[in-house]
Amino acid sequence: MDHDTTCVAPRVSPAPGRDGAVRAEALQLAAPLLQLRDVAKAYRVGHVTVPALRGVSLDVGEGEFLALVGPSGSGKSTLLHICGLIDAPDAGRYQLEGKDVSRLGPRELAILRRERVGFVFQGFNLVPVLTALENVEIPLLLAGVARAERGARSRASLEAVGLGGLERRRPDELSGGQRQRVAIARAMVGRPRLVLADEPTANLDGATAAQVIDVMRELGRTRGVTFVVATHDERMARHCDRVVALRDGVLA
Amino acid sequence: MKWFWFAVANVRRNRRRSATTILIAAVGTAALLVGGGFVQYNYALLRRIAAHDSGHVVLAHRDHFDGDEDLPMQHGVDDASLVKARLEADARVIVALPRLQFSGLISNGDKSAVFIGTGIDAEGESRVRGSSLWKLTAGSTLSARPSEDDLPEIMLGKELARQLRVVPGSTLTLLATTTEGSLNAQDVRVKGIYSVGVPEMDRRAVLVHLPTAQRLLLTDRVSTVSAYLRRIDDTDVVQATMAGLFPGRALQTWRDQAFYYRAVRALYNRIFGLLGAIIVVLVLFAISNTLGMAVVERTREIGTFRALGAVPAQITRNFVLEGLVVGLAGAAIGTAAATLISFAVDRAGAMMPPPPGYSVGYPLLIDRSPALYAAAALVIAAVSAIAAWAVSRKAAARSIVEALAHV
Repeated sequence: MDHDTTCVAPRVSPAPGRDGAVRAEALQLAAPLLQLRDVAKAYRVGHVTVPALRGVSLDVGEGEFLALVGPSGSGKSTLLHICGLIDAPDAGRYQLEGKDVSRLGPRELAILRRERVGFVFQGFNLVPVLTALENVEIPLLLAGVARAERGARSRASLEAVGLGGLERRRPDELSGGQRQRVAIARAMVGRPRLVLADEPTANLDGATAAQVIDVMRELGRTRGVTFVVATHDERMARHCDRVVALRDGVLA
Repeated sequence: MKWFWFAVANVRRNRRRSATTILIAAVGTAALLVGGGFVQYNYALLRRIAAHDSGHVVLAHRDHFDGDEDLPMQHGVDDASLVKARLEADARVIVALPRLQFSGLISNGDKSAVFIGTGIDAEGESRVRGSSLWKLTAGSTLSARPSEDDLPEIMLGKELARQLRVVPGSTLTLLATTTEGSLNAQDVRVKGIYSVGVPEMDRRAVLVHLPTAQRLLLTDRVSTVSAYLRRIDDTDVVQATMAGLFPGRALQTWRDQAFYYRAVRALYNRIFGLLGAIIVVLVLFAISNTLGMAVVERTREIGTFRALGAVPAQITRNFVLEGLVVGLAGAAIGTAAATLISFAVDRAGAMMPPPPGYSVGYPLLIDRSPALYAAAALVIAAVSAIAAWAVSRKAAARSIVEALAHV
């Protein structure tokens, strides 16, 4: 993997002496987990090119709980996809943990997603033929984690979202809120640095949505995981450390 | 192993569709096995017949097989006893049988016909060929040894016997050109009437004891000496040994002599090869269709897996496993069905109609060779895996965003 030396340099090359070390530590603390600079993305619909993002620059710090808000078509999902390494910008630069990811190949990106990123989808995206435990196990299975460790970590992850005892239930035997918590457990089981959630409460009623928000906030707080949540839900936005609004592909 | 059970669970998602596909794979497997078993049985039968007819390795004068003779037995073997003794000293050889091919006219006094005769060692022939290969229609086979007291014995093809209006016990006269070019005659008594199974041969075929033929042709030579082996698989090795023992002689194996076997094999290979290819293509399409639908239906799931860190090869592998589950399930059911069918056919005792040019049929049996069963299961499984790979590889490499947006 390529490392962007301009960003990593302060971490590995502190200035000499005590002052230098303190400065490096300060830089490290201040270094954002995500750094987007002038990111642009457009989609072709037939013969028409539709801009989705137009020069977005954004820093997201470690452990931050950030909400992306904006009307439909404002570019929230596109920005989320780029942050989650499942889409690439047409222009601009994106650094994750100080690493320029634009030069990584598909396989390296997949491994980075597996190790660093978790996803929570609006429609839960659970595999219907698998139990809750097996759904949570998927990222570990893909990473080749041994069976015993896989089971233990997946159970712990389900416990953490309050679903202990429901391991053997299939998605169709769970409520909407429980399914979304399984999805959160799946996103967290790989011990990611970043979790991206696309409208995680959109399909849930008010009380269930509140529970899901609480679970995510709690996990973010206790594990120091950065959450970036694309949402229309004002309650969700209220619970976030920072709210970033997008309109017509630019930060409002 | 986890992925295997995941594949099994996915196959069970749409049970009716999977069951139909498994059924198609099963029918394909059963068809391959029944058809292949039938062909294998026929090949084995024809090999056995061919080897029993000619002998496994045939020794002759170096010009016997290719050269034309100006006089009868010009290209004969003149040390047949020595050749026989040396061949029979080999433990792989059951017996070595000298034969003398000749032709001429056969007459009942009123009517004459052309014959194609063979002088044989009746005792040795019956030892390796048994009586079943000469289908007697009247009388009996030649005595083990020629009689000194009575007229020499003869067996005739049934059509020739009908033409000459003879029955066992009738007297006939053989007329042939001797090795010196003169004509010679020999009275013989009909011992038996038989069918070769080929109408053309039944109109011409004649069998006599070897000394009878030699006396008629005024020779002590024979046309060929055929080595009969304990195991057909030893043919090539024994041929090589014989080439060392008898340099300067011509040697042919039963394969060289088995024109009918080679023709049937070439024909069956084409017919059943084409049928097999059609079956394989049908299975390929059926599995491609089923898994193609599954891939489309699960596009979003593929996107989710990719987002969670799966590389395209892992997605493809999962679908290949599903293809293998379907293919192997079909192969297992098809194998069981083919086994039952083959036992049922065996018990039914059905007969195949006579092949073209033959007057007798042969039993309809289906070979149950483990190698064939393994090969058919392997082919179906491989076809299933290839179909799964082909339909899933594009979807696996598709844009994750597009896959997640799939409705």
